[in-house]
Amino acid sequence: MSIDLSIFTSYAPQFFLGFWMTIRIVIGAIILGMPFGLVLALCQRSRFRLLRILAVSYIEIFRNTPFIIQVFIFFYVLPFYGLHLPATYVGTVALAAFGSAYFAEVIRGGINAVAKGQLESARATGMSDWEAMRYVVLPQTLPIILPAMTNQTLSLVKESAILSTITVGELTMAAITVQGETFRPFEAFIMIALMYWALNETIAIIMRRVERKVSNRSNSGRANGIARADPAVKDG
Amino acid sequence: MAPNTETKNNFLEMTRIRKSFAGLTALQDVSLSVPKGEVVCIIGPSGCGKSTLLRTANWLTPADAGEVRLNGEIVGAMPDPRSKSMQARSLNALRARIGMVFQQFNVWPHLSVLENVVCPQMVVAKRGRDIAEKKALAALAIVGLDEKKTDWPDNLSGGQKQRLAIARVLAMDPVLMLLDEPTSALDPELVSGVLTVLKQLAEKGMTMIIVTHELGFARSVANRVVFMEEGQIIEEGSPDVILRTPSTKRLEVFLEKLNLTALKPKTNGASHRVMKSD
Amino acid sequence: MKFDLSYTLDALPRLLDGSLVTLKLALFGFAFSVVLATIVTVARTVSKSRIFDTIVAVYISFIRGTPLLVQIFLVYYVLPIIGLNIGAVTAGIVALTLNSAAFVIEILRGGLASVSKGQFEAGRSLGLSNVALWLKVILPQTFMASIPPLVNEFTQLLKSTALLSTITVVELMRVSQQIYSNNYHPVEVLAGAFAMYFLMCFTISRSASWLEATFEIKRA
Repeated sequence: MSIDLSIFTSYAPQFFLGFWMTIRIVIGAIILGMPFGLVLALCQRSRFRLLRILAVSYIEIFRNTPFIIQVFIFFYVLPFYGLHLPATYVGTVALAAFGSAYFAEVIRGGINAVAKGQLESARATGMSDWEAMRYVVLPQTLPIILPAMTNQTLSLVKESAILSTITVGELTMAAITVQGETFRPFEAFIMIALMYWALNETIAIIMRRVERKVSNRSNSGRANGIARADPAVKDG
Repeated sequence: MAPNTETKNNFLEMTRIRKSFAGLTALQDVSLSVPKGEVVCIIGPSGCGKSTLLRTANWLTPADAGEVRLNGEIVGAMPDPRSKSMQARSLNALRARIGMVFQQFNVWPHLSVLENVVCPQMVVAKRGRDIAEKKALAALAIVGLDEKKTDWPDNLSGGQKQRLAIARVLAMDPVLMLLDEPTSALDPELVSGVLTVLKQLAEKGMTMIIVTHELGFARSVANRVVFMEEGQIIEEGSPDVILRTPSTKRLEVFLEKLNLTALKPKTNGASHRVMKSD
Repeated sequence: MKFDLSYTLDALPRLLDGSLVTLKLALFGFAFSVVLATIVTVARTVSKSRIFDTIVAVYISFIRGTPLLVQIFLVYYVLPIIGLNIGAVTAGIVALTLNSAAFVIEILRGGLASVSKGQFEAGRSLGLSNVALWLKVILPQTFMASIPPLVNEFTQLLKSTALLSTITVVELMRVSQQIYSNNYHPVEVLAGAFAMYFLMCFTISRSASWLEATFEIKRA
């Protein structure tokens, strides 16, 4: 077996176009999916039983079925409702819908992790449920959910590869096209595997730095030796 | 058993409150009336329902039966004749005028000291930032924290956090304050700082209900002490009388456990009423 | 649009066959994955080889950092080139096994960490050989501590079998595609397959709690 490294150079533009498409799709899915995930998480706590049931059902449905079949259903169903979107948009919507179910669970976990007393003290001042969430609880969930949110984003990057099955021109599609032309599947798929790997590692490294900065800010002065030994903090 | 026939025009009226948790009865038909300006201290062994009763006063813990009225308006009632949205709106509006202080302080760590006090004013009372900050600084001055206004709650001692919680309540101009064991989570040397602030508020005429273990504080500040056990009010009356000469064996035992010597138990005094006799 | 349920119902028998294939693929994949992951975990703990650790770490990082679909393509298209002509189903199971094992290794690492050190010492002082120690004492406890994440991993694997449709394996997804490419009613057919995937995964994850309860009783 011989490895033809020239593929990497001669088809580089194709690969990078696909790479760029992958990035755009994932960003689009996050912009659509995260806010909706928040909506789902809040609906799960709603005092209206119907909202709770709808939210839980949505989450269970999207988490208990393969993404590929969700993609195909979106692909075939949307035209019937008059929505003739190009495959890229269908794919982004499908990825967003899928992601929102997982984002919702992450956010729900974060809300539960914030001490109950925070919500209570906010409600006790006269804030409504939503006001208490918005001004007191949700801001505190941010540093808590950051790692899980990062994991979810990495997962979306990987799931985006499945969009190649509905001919979206992202990175995996680029490899399929290249190997179709060159009959060199190993080089093509290894190339994109490395690119996905690099993308995910980069995101992970950036987010780890962000996490450290965020947790430093929210931990300012919290129970470290310096603060405790400070005599100025002695009075009642 | 002496009947409860106080006038129904009291500032805070809690009528026949019943509450159970997972089959266990926390409150059995408890009624409490608090006139304006009175300071009531609720004492009792742990598990007696005193915190539950306090939390029912602002419906943070909704009762299974009974009603709570503030100045005639329903805070919460079960059953409640009003629509759900009416209930929610009215409750939030009333809670804005009731201030609650928690044992675990519950200050908001993601906001600075000043912002903690400004936030509810702007969100709930819909005040503009200028007014909110002015009132916040005034409230922080009352509790002695104005120097710390740009600091973060995590840098404060327990006592300071509790005083911050009190300032947050004060800035909302409450007509009633509910305090759930405000000093129980504090190191002993920090307790007096908080109690001093509370005493000043009481002297200025604030209506307060305080669940506490600090009997010395109760004696010096309270107009009335209420003793609860097992979900019922056993005895209530003026602190001097009730703490020095308990009428019931149960209160006597409780006080003894807290190392207070009680004189011979006897029924006397007009300002003293026994709810349940042993 | 009219959703014609008769197409769904007509497709049911073939969809059910597809579901069985899906289940078989998942079970085989999971079994191999767990065996592989267990071997690697034991080897990792017993041998102090830095090189081995690094190889495993790189392998896990690669699996977790790249899409499963790409891994499947790599196995399917690349193995014949090396001379291994193993067919789509085998290639699919190999890819799923290699993928799942990376996650199971991490799961077992957590489960193993929860087994107290004392177990090793007690076993050794009783004269148990390494093999017996692992088989009879350590591994059972490791697995019992890992049941919820393992069940979750199995559901993940079950969902992943759908990707094998892209390399011509005839499981539930591919069966659906075959059916609707003939009757031109993709929505009705996919809805049926969708429902089956949901039922399988939902039932499995719900019975996880039942499983845990059962094993709790066994321990008591």
